[in-house]
Amino acid sequence: MTALLDVQQLSKSYRKQTGLFRYRTVQALHDISFTLQSGKTLAIVGETGSGKSTLARLLVGIEKPDAGDILLAGNTVTTSHYRQYNHTIRFIFQDAAKSLNPNQKIGQMLDDVLRLNTVFDATQRAQKVRLTLKQLGLLNEHIDYYPHMFSGGQLQRVALARALILDPKLLILDEALTALDPSLRAQIVNLLLELQQQSGLAYLLISNHLRLVRHIADDVLVLYQGKMLDYAPASEVFSNPQHDYTRKLINSSQA
Amino acid sequence: MLLLDIKNLTIELSTANGLIRAVDRVNLSLREGETRGLVGESGSGKSLIAKAIVGVLNKRWRVTADRFNWAGKDILNLPYEQQRKIIGRDIAMIYQEPSRSLDPTAVILEQLEEAIPAHVLDGPWWKRSYLRRHKAIALLHKVGIRDHQSVLQSYPYQLSEGICQKIMIAMAVAKSPKLLIADEPTTALESTTQAQLFRLLSSINQLKGTSVLLISHELESIARYTQTLSVLYCGQLVEAGETAAILKQPFHPYTNALIKSVPEFQPDLVPKTPLYALPGSIPVLQHLPIGCRLGPRCPNARKECVKTPAIERLQNHYFSCHFPLTGKTV
Repeated sequence: MTALLDVQQLSKSYRKQTGLFRYRTVQALHDISFTLQSGKTLAIVGETGSGKSTLARLLVGIEKPDAGDILLAGNTVTTSHYRQYNHTIRFIFQDAAKSLNPNQKIGQMLDDVLRLNTVFDATQRAQKVRLTLKQLGLLNEHIDYYPHMFSGGQLQRVALARALILDPKLLILDEALTALDPSLRAQIVNLLLELQQQSGLAYLLISNHLRLVRHIADDVLVLYQGKMLDYAPASEVFSNPQHDYTRKLINSSQA
Repeated sequence: MLLLDIKNLTIELSTANGLIRAVDRVNLSLREGETRGLVGESGSGKSLIAKAIVGVLNKRWRVTADRFNWAGKDILNLPYEQQRKIIGRDIAMIYQEPSRSLDPTAVILEQLEEAIPAHVLDGPWWKRSYLRRHKAIALLHKVGIRDHQSVLQSYPYQLSEGICQKIMIAMAVAKSPKLLIADEPTTALESTTQAQLFRLLSSINQLKGTSVLLISHELESIARYTQTLSVLYCGQLVEAGETAAILKQPFHPYTNALIKSVPEFQPDLVPKTPLYALPGSIPVLQHLPIGCRLGPRCPNARKECVKTPAIERLQNHYFSCHFPLTGKTV
């Protein structure tokens, strides 16, 4: 069986101008390879500047890698295929309140996603919107709500609804759980786990929150300055870390 | 002796739709040399309480309290000048995002020197500037910055968030305060730096006997560094007592939910199983439920819960719930 996502030797560097004619290259990612099966969760851990967000941007096709391949269900992905594969990979941002348009009603926003990406007609779209809201524990009345009328936890659900409405196979959560309050976070975590069990969704979780990673991730990938340090099942990384940096990271969350 | 002793602190905001009680009769006390944690979710009024202690709330908020004593003196009803004098001398505060609270247009040296009050420098006036600079360097060393030369000449944007927060702490301890209030000091930081900062705060607490009020929304990160704990929900104090006792046996359903929602406190929890979560979400300030504010979300709410429960005491453990969880929790 081919893996849902297969990343092979991905590298990315940025050129930074330091003088009039001089450039300095910053290696953001160096030789990253991993695979992700459907229904599994991969957590990417690392400090700021370790290349976590670059990796996420490469995966959704916002930027192009310098070298290496991203294989989605066996097919190589290039940026020009964005339209096709944005159905499969969806992205959730850190702050739901900031990533939603304050001028747009929730129903309108979800409808736009479908209108631009599917061939559904108006009634089909309306039905799909209702179905998705229901799946995420929101009400039909919420179609006419503006983002500011929701509380923090509900907003995160709305953001999830926008991501899930296209029935993706992979969801990238870029620090999406960090800013939430503990009791809401537990709710969202439960929702994510439930969705994964129901529909075999795969998650790529980018997080600093090791305690949470330990709970929900199947595999953990530790990034440090653009390089892969540990890449193993979560229980193994936490019980037997191979690198000093990983050990330090784990100790800081426990000691 | 109690350093800070607050009884029935109420903070209200008058709006067009009537009075909103953001903090509802909260008790808070701190002994000298104590580290107390204040835990609550967003909107629970923890930052309001901190600001009320420091006296920096703006005029729209009405602060009342039955007792608001600082070292045996009621500071809430003092004339403004005297109040500022006492607070300015004894209480220091550090904020959530250090890079935002530092002045972006001045180098660290200037800002740090400004924070050192004149009375901590003893020497003739012509030696003042030398002493001040010396003191600034000593402060940086104290908070664990060794490379003082380059840090002092930098602007805040050139430094990492962790170093900025250390500088904030250096500025706060410059006047050797009796109480240090840390309002979510580590939310903007990496997990490795977080641990460093907590260690720094607890070393300041132990070496100089400074009391620390540690405010956070993450129970797990501050439980390790505090002796006592107060848990707030929507402006009401739900539980207070010794940290270890609360973690071992919470009496209030909200505290119980907080503890259970954190995988770390559940060592035998199987990965990928659902976490314990209360249904619903935190009510907004305009629509607060009457009585116990946890009521609509509480798993064991009953008819009596529309009345605000009085604070009950069991040894050193305070809680306000009509139906406390007793015995082994399920």
